[in-house]
Amino acid sequence: MTLEALRYLGAGRGAPEELRQSVERAAQELSGQVKPRYVYRIFSLEPEQEGFSLPQAGLLLTGQTARTMLTGCAQAALLCCTLGARFDALLRACQVRDMAQAVILDACGSALVEEGCDAAQEEMVQLLPGKFLTDRFSPGYGDLPLPLQQGLCAALDASRRLGVHVTRQYLLNPGKTVTAVVGISGKPQPARVRGCAFCSMRERCTLYKGGKTCGV
Amino acid sequence: MGSEFWKDGLLLLDGAMGTVLQQRGLKPGELPELIGITRPELLRSIHREYIDAGSRVVCANTFGANALKLAHSGYTVEEVVRASIAAAKQAAAGTGTRVALDIGPLGELLEPMGGLSFEEAYSLFCQVARAGERAGADLAAIETMTDLYEAKAAVLAVKENTSLPVFATMSFEESGRTFTGCTIPSMARTLEGLGADAIGLNCSLGPDLLAPLLRELCENTRLPVIAKPNAGLPDPVDGHYHMDPEAFTAALLPCLDAGVSIIGGCCGTSPAYIRRLNAALSGRRSASRRYIPCGFVCTPTVPVPLTGVRVIGERINPTGKKRVQQALLARDLDYILDLAVQQEDAGASLLDVNVGYPGVDEAALLPQVVKKLQSACTLPLMLDSSNPEALEAGLRVYNGKAAVNSVNGDPAVLGRVLPIVKQYGAAVVGLTLDKQGVPQTAQDRLEIARRILDAALAHGIPQEDLWIDCLTLTVSAQQEQAPQTLEAVRRVRQELGLHSVLGVSNISFGLPDRGQITRAFLLQALGAGLTLPILNPNQTQMMDAIAAFRVLSGEDAGCRAYVERFAGASPAPASAPGAGDALTLEEAVVRGLRADAARLAVQALESEEPVRLVEGRLIPALDRVGADYERGVAFLPQLLSAAQAAQGVFEAVRAVIERTGGVPVKKGRFLIATVQGDIHDIGKNIVKTVMENYGYAAVDLGRDVPPEQIVEAVRQQGVRLVGLSALMTTTLPAMEQTIRQLRALPEPPVIFVGGAVVTPEYAAQMGADYYARDARRSVEIAKEVFG
Repeated sequence: MTLEALRYLGAGRGAPEELRQSVERAAQELSGQVKPRYVYRIFSLEPEQEGFSLPQAGLLLTGQTARTMLTGCAQAALLCCTLGARFDALLRACQVRDMAQAVILDACGSALVEEGCDAAQEEMVQLLPGKFLTDRFSPGYGDLPLPLQQGLCAALDASRRLGVHVTRQYLLNPGKTVTAVVGISGKPQPARVRGCAFCSMRERCTLYKGGKTCGV
Repeated sequence: MGSEFWKDGLLLLDGAMGTVLQQRGLKPGELPELIGITRPELLRSIHREYIDAGSRVVCANTFGANALKLAHSGYTVEEVVRASIAAAKQAAAGTGTRVALDIGPLGELLEPMGGLSFEEAYSLFCQVARAGERAGADLAAIETMTDLYEAKAAVLAVKENTSLPVFATMSFEESGRTFTGCTIPSMARTLEGLGADAIGLNCSLGPDLLAPLLRELCENTRLPVIAKPNAGLPDPVDGHYHMDPEAFTAALLPCLDAGVSIIGGCCGTSPAYIRRLNAALSGRRSASRRYIPCGFVCTPTVPVPLTGVRVIGERINPTGKKRVQQALLARDLDYILDLAVQQEDAGASLLDVNVGYPGVDEAALLPQVVKKLQSACTLPLMLDSSNPEALEAGLRVYNGKAAVNSVNGDPAVLGRVLPIVKQYGAAVVGLTLDKQGVPQTAQDRLEIARRILDAALAHGIPQEDLWIDCLTLTVSAQQEQAPQTLEAVRRVRQELGLHSVLGVSNISFGLPDRGQITRAFLLQALGAGLTLPILNPNQTQMMDAIAAFRVLSGEDAGCRAYVERFAGASPAPASAPGAGDALTLEEAVVRGLRADAARLAVQALESEEPVRLVEGRLIPALDRVGADYERGVAFLPQLLSAAQAAQGVFEAVRAVIERTGGVPVKKGRFLIATVQGDIHDIGKNIVKTVMENYGYAAVDLGRDVPPEQIVEAVRQQGVRLVGLSALMTTTLPAMEQTIRQLRALPEPPVIFVGGAVVTPEYAAQMGADYYARDARRSVEIAKEVFG
């Protein structure tokens, strides 16, 4: 988590030792306080004129991103991972006491929720012998529409099972929450879209503007 | 209908509705609540099956029938509730089965987690509750709550607007907490205090994993306890729940021995499960209960059982504290919150909150302070006021079980305040005085305590919720009174069995070296049975004495806390390692050493003018870190550490100026907010921290702020610089809208914008004056604007 968190802070491997130690301490403490929790479900995937549909979830994934990611997949997993409201409470409490510590905690939280997504994908690999997963991608990423958050969370019953809510502006609440689609195929999957070159946020991304990356 | 049917032995509820509807053709994305209108015969048949299986109460299909979830459905709450209750009543007709109005979560998170206010949540629930009673429901079943605050809003809405009995259940994880961190004791004692008729757990887990949590719940409430588990956990591949009726029943039955008396099923269960449960219940009777009465206050995440000495922090009180008075008059709630977290970190268990001061509208301010404190401080609060309206308003928005400070032996006061205490299930402090003043003898104080206890019991307040304050009088003025107070504490404990509260520091007023007297008195009072000392926990001497007392009383088992506090304790190094004597103020700021920076500032101010110190040394040091940050050799946490070290310097400067009556160093006031719809505010807080520590004064409106509120604040306060933050593309329209409205003012302020999705081009297009890519840039903008 430490290295990822340092990258979110814009420092990465070249971070000053003092900062690296602070981040490591915060990461350790956070691991003891909050565990990422996730739910996922595997749905069959049907190519259609306008995109890919998940009939059991009542969802249609439109656009170029979905096409790039899911072509050749007969199934897809929907995934939601969150650090929950307790992380947000920790972050609020920390911001009152020490903003410097709070931005470190915030970065550790971002790294931890991604670790949770990785763990969920690991679990899927174990559950599906002989199958291969694509990279995960999320609503708002590329041209996958943000309003998909609603249907995706509903299909996972995420409010009841994880306490995750989608606001009227399609923000996920609690703050450290990731939803994603993962394609499932019978053939090994090359990395398809990770990295800044594929990201639709590239023009607006402050990290990218500063020559940095969020790590996705 | 027999009254209080839920108390007569075992009661069988029904099983799932949602998952059964899915099995019978509910389409993905279809609102389950509309089935009552589109296919009422389907609801009737499901209810009928549950009734045939043995359910004595069925829940109508109204779980999500609130105005938020029905917003785009084309139907009103009234229509949906009426149709669903009607279907259940038709199925139940002639069977004696009762119909519950089912009330689930609203679907949006409440403040401080989300944007929905407590008051909005309450009124949404009111609408559901009234519709349910009108449609003929026999009771209300509030279910699947994970936020105690939302559960409170729902319970109050039903109780204050209908005459329906209230069942309230929440969903817990295996860890014993809800998603929002609520504990079982907090849930149990808060909801019982609010007047729920039965409480329990539903959803989230199977009966096997719920069993230990149900046992804990039974120990924490006198009320009948409900269990509605899921049929195990769902399969990630197909979404099905795999525990069969036999296994479900076998795992649920031991819970009855622990005291659970109302049972049913949640997700994945069906009439088959209820039939099996019904068969297993025949011949069984409800078990006796082992409720443990205990003095108690809590927030959702921090239960505070009064099983030892619990320190009440006294600092949020304007009496004799100029800085607190200023903060209250200026509504500077950040300062009040700061006092709270300092006391939390110093070891207080609960906090006294007194905001009464001339010029302050206490009834309006107290609820605001309560909300502010519970946004970032986890300690329970003791609301300290003689104004019943303020107490009512504060208790209403409090999340958990609070305490009230105070009533006294005057019947008029008891008659005014105790009903409020009862209504919100609070604990209350009774002062041993009355209209005649403070009695001079322990015996007379005990008599008043006894009167207060009788009055509390008569109002339905349990004995453990009354704490007695035997009153500390100043020993230099009335020396003979100290033994009387101690004697009264002893007798209140022994003869009435009540907890004692005592503001100890009063004892030493007017004497030199007050700490000596206060500490000696504190220890004697603790020995006499005091459990709730009110003091300043930042005074290490007092907290040390309490740590020692806890060892001697046996509360600190194995002396663990004491050893942790003192082992290896050596005088703290005066400054950071490597700092040495050569550390300069500038270096202390650059390295973010707050304590050193403050110490060096105090030294420097003996010979330097405050303004020169700030402009000549502090600001250049901050600029140095800023420049390093821009070059990519220093990073955000370092920039903020330096800013916080600067704050230490400003505090020293402020103290000097106050002492010498000079003019405060404030370079200009800016307003800052995260725009409407945006709930992420860390970026805004970063900018605020850095700018404040450059000497600019912040008016912080928080997050999710409507344009109108920003415009109104700018207009009223005449602010010249406004910073707006937005994180998501979906909230940019709100930013644009805010800018447009600000531009329409006769004297529009200078506007700067920032946030992940904002670009310089977009900022210009929206009509902002500046784009700030980071906090550092914001400071430069402020310099340009204020000169």
